[in-house]
Amino acid sequence: MASDTVVGAAPAGPGPLRKRFDSTTLHILGIALAAVSLGMLGCTLLEAVTSGQDTMALGVSALLAGTVGGLLWYATVPGAIRMRQVFATVSWTWILTTVVGALPFVLAGTFAAPGVGLVEQIVNSVFESASGFSASGSTVLSDFESPGRGLMMYRQLTHWYGGMGVVVLAVAVLPFLGVGGLELITAELPGTSSDRLAPRVSETARRLWLVYIGFTACAAMAFYAADGFSSLYDAVAHAFTFAATGGFSVHADSIGHYDSVAVETVAIVFMILGGTSFSLHWRLVATRTLGYHRNSEFRTYLAMLAACSAVIVVIIWLENGLPLGSSIRAAVFTVVSLGTSTGLSNATGQGSPGDYVAWVAGAQLVLLFLMVVGGCTGSTSGGIKVMRMRVLGLMMLRSIQHTQTPRAIIPIRLGTDSVRETVVSRAAGFFLLHFVLMMAGLLALTSLGGELETSLGAVVSTLGNMGPALGEAGPTSNYAVAFTQPARLVLALLMVIGRLEIFPILLTGAGLVAGAYRGSVRQGRHSMRWTAHRLEAIAESRSDDEADDEADDAGV
Amino acid sequence: MSWAFASIVDAGLVLGVATMVCGLAGIGDDNTDAVAFACVGAVCAVLAAVARRRVAPPDRPGTGRVFAGIGLLWTVLVLFGTVLYAATGSLARLDDALVESAAGFTTTSLTLLDAAEASRSVLLFRAATSWVGGLMAVWIGVVTFPMVLRSTALIGYTTGRRGLDLVPSATTGRRRVLVLYSGFTAACVVAYLLTGLGVTEALVVGLGTASTGGFTGRADSLAGYGVATQAVAGAGMFLAGAGIFVIWWIARGRLRPLWRSQELRAFVVLLAVATAAMALHRGVGWGEAGFMAVSAMSTTGFAVVDWTAWGTATTVIMLVAVGIGSMMGSAGGGMRVMRAQLLMGSAGGELRRQIDPYAVVLVRRDQETLSQRTLDRLGGHQVAYVVLVGLGAMLLGVSGVSLLGSVWGSVSAVTTFGPAVGEIGAFGLLEGVDRAERLALVPLMMGGRMSVPPVLAGVGLVLNTYRTMQRRIRFSVLLASRRRDTPGQSGSDDG
Repeated sequence: MASDTVVGAAPAGPGPLRKRFDSTTLHILGIALAAVSLGMLGCTLLEAVTSGQDTMALGVSALLAGTVGGLLWYATVPGAIRMRQVFATVSWTWILTTVVGALPFVLAGTFAAPGVGLVEQIVNSVFESASGFSASGSTVLSDFESPGRGLMMYRQLTHWYGGMGVVVLAVAVLPFLGVGGLELITAELPGTSSDRLAPRVSETARRLWLVYIGFTACAAMAFYAADGFSSLYDAVAHAFTFAATGGFSVHADSIGHYDSVAVETVAIVFMILGGTSFSLHWRLVATRTLGYHRNSEFRTYLAMLAACSAVIVVIIWLENGLPLGSSIRAAVFTVVSLGTSTGLSNATGQGSPGDYVAWVAGAQLVLLFLMVVGGCTGSTSGGIKVMRMRVLGLMMLRSIQHTQTPRAIIPIRLGTDSVRETVVSRAAGFFLLHFVLMMAGLLALTSLGGELETSLGAVVSTLGNMGPALGEAGPTSNYAVAFTQPARLVLALLMVIGRLEIFPILLTGAGLVAGAYRGSVRQGRHSMRWTAHRLEAIAESRSDDEADDEADDAGV
Repeated sequence: MSWAFASIVDAGLVLGVATMVCGLAGIGDDNTDAVAFACVGAVCAVLAAVARRRVAPPDRPGTGRVFAGIGLLWTVLVLFGTVLYAATGSLARLDDALVESAAGFTTTSLTLLDAAEASRSVLLFRAATSWVGGLMAVWIGVVTFPMVLRSTALIGYTTGRRGLDLVPSATTGRRRVLVLYSGFTAACVVAYLLTGLGVTEALVVGLGTASTGGFTGRADSLAGYGVATQAVAGAGMFLAGAGIFVIWWIARGRLRPLWRSQELRAFVVLLAVATAAMALHRGVGWGEAGFMAVSAMSTTGFAVVDWTAWGTATTVIMLVAVGIGSMMGSAGGGMRVMRAQLLMGSAGGELRRQIDPYAVVLVRRDQETLSQRTLDRLGGHQVAYVVLVGLGAMLLGVSGVSLLGSVWGSVSAVTTFGPAVGEIGAFGLLEGVDRAERLALVPLMMGGRMSVPPVLAGVGLVLNTYRTMQRRIRFSVLLASRRRDTPGQSGSDDG
């Protein structure tokens, strides 16, 4: 491997800090767990004042997460951070947060049912937690009535934490991290690069979170109004989903539960805004001017959603024989939901207009394309991202131009700016790795008993953090029906990989493998050296014995 | 003389002779068909021979012209086959004839012909279309791209330095390729004869093996044949998928390049992995698994069993194998092993750059370092390939094929494999597929056979024409508005 670049170093802290353990990874993990425990605590209070059935589970989880997080936070100090550590930090923080986040579900017995053992409950809890934190919205929950309101709100809250990112949150509260903080944000935030909204990295993270909180508040108010001021709980729960472009709902039939055009319109608007770069939202707040139309990625994103909606309206109107009004309503909602990687559904039941699994293959393929693309860079959505797709498209066009003029130097332009060649090749590498992971995931799922169509949809959906898939894992079903326990764990891993945009987890995995390899080589060398040493010793003792024998013989 | 016309003349000569031979071989079976094929073939060959004496291809044709010529060549070949199928009544409808002809010339193992009912001439002609298509594909890949275009970038991602060994010049290269390809086909036919096949069957299957076309004389492909025949087919497909360079090295008795070829090693490893992965699946024998793996990777399309019923994981392995495809310099399709290797190397380099943004990552191929420009072009090419597959799946999906059938059908058609999970099935029979869906397969097969660059060139031509028109319209509008603004000057301009 190449030399590992030091990207940031924390300044030496005050006296007592020097006695603490020097580890950025553990420090950030501690902050993340402490933050999650705060959320759990809030949900414990909500649970206590409502049904109260899951109060103990949430309370114990909050205590455990808070204690572990607090200890890690207190006992460690962030030190110099290398690029490889950046990826390891982000990956381990996400994996461990996901595992700890599954605690409330396990302790509350959310997935307990006749014939479901403890192992399966744990697997389901980890799946649900991974889906929540990665803002995917894929679910294995079938009984939406049993869990208490606090636990359901916690489920929504996992989306909210995962949407902007727990590491970004950690960076926001860290007073110093230097350049390493920016690298951490870049590694966690979806997109090609992170915009600096302020000179200080922690200030940038703080502003991102401020916009995020404001966005959530606006979404909650709009939803509350659209729903006829009937349930603040529903409004807040769905606002978490819109902000994070997650996909969880507190109802089994998602937005279809309301069967209301007003609610769906609000959902569409906030899903589109959730899939837009938060830097643009910040500019709106900071400069009070609408800069969206000047952003070429945003224009492409809107054009793509409009074009796909139009195509699907025509297909399902003509091929599925749905009325035009229902076709438009179902198509626009589904396209926006999947195109922004949210994954909410307006299906009111199996075979209803919004149940896209019943649409013809052409329409489903358009949805599959949207699932792969996802939203804008710097947003909370998943997928490859519109920006990367544009770069790849322009790369293809450049290949076309090269067939006419092979020696021409043709820069790739986005708007008025030329894109650096490193960004182009990174986009191509990302696309290829995404594709390879998709095939590997498909192979794994089908090997574990998944049906081909469902597995294809599930891999694309989880890797792009969409939520519902195709076939048996469609919007009116769930993943527990379609996949075995090991397959669900594979899908949970894919969700985390997709959320962190592949590189961090792959590099951490590669680092682990390389470390294990180096360790085994070292061990092997040590064993060989020890064996050689032993053999030498034996040979020496034998030669000494022989010399003694010869001496004895000579003496005789 | 245009390069496209010269290529069409060359192809016409080979095709004319082949058609004439098919007609002559059919005498005694269905004389009407036989005479028709023999006469058309003879006329075509004579016309091509006359034209060949009078024309010479240009030394340095432009890249765009060469790609446009390649597109035109395939179109002419497919139309020739369509007319012949329709004229002889082998296929009653023109669109069916078009699909059959396109499948033949693009070496895709898809058919509408009822092999049991078809005359000997028709069966042989169908096999000959795939043979001619295979020859054209190898000529274009091995001779045209590196030698006629003389583009280092194109050499970089087609044949590399080893191309200079087999193809020192365009004329010699074309002749050597023809000899090697014909010799390999003859060897296949003789081997099939030795396994006990009749002459017609041996010819049909032999032509299908050497060209990776995958046509046989039966509806169930090679399922009804003996083990010896299947073993010969397996070995033949391996060599056909390994490409003309490997055959050249074997013919010359040169083992060192064989051993040193990075692509060949990868091809063998991938075959072994695919075979083992499929064989470990329940109920699949090693022989069947190996046969289907080599059939998929060489994109031939032969089948000894209904592999679509093997289970979902196995079909995914088949999909990956078909997607990667054969080696450079072969008549097979797919992404090609070499390109897959280079792309993986490039992606690995990107992973490394995540840790060290300033790292210089070299991607090597057979002791040769490729430039970033070549890798970028390769990336663009690959994106175009995925776009073609995606558009194809969409086209099939809209025309009524199921989701899986659309995805598999598109991949299979673009890679020129043929059989697919879903409506098409393991033996590539199109009888159960609707007319619109069949027609949707034609542009996919053509695009896949041309290995995308000519398609890109076509798109480029359309884009350039559009831009030029746009510029002219703008200029006209600007001129008109200026004339309106300054009416006094118009008189002086006219004056």
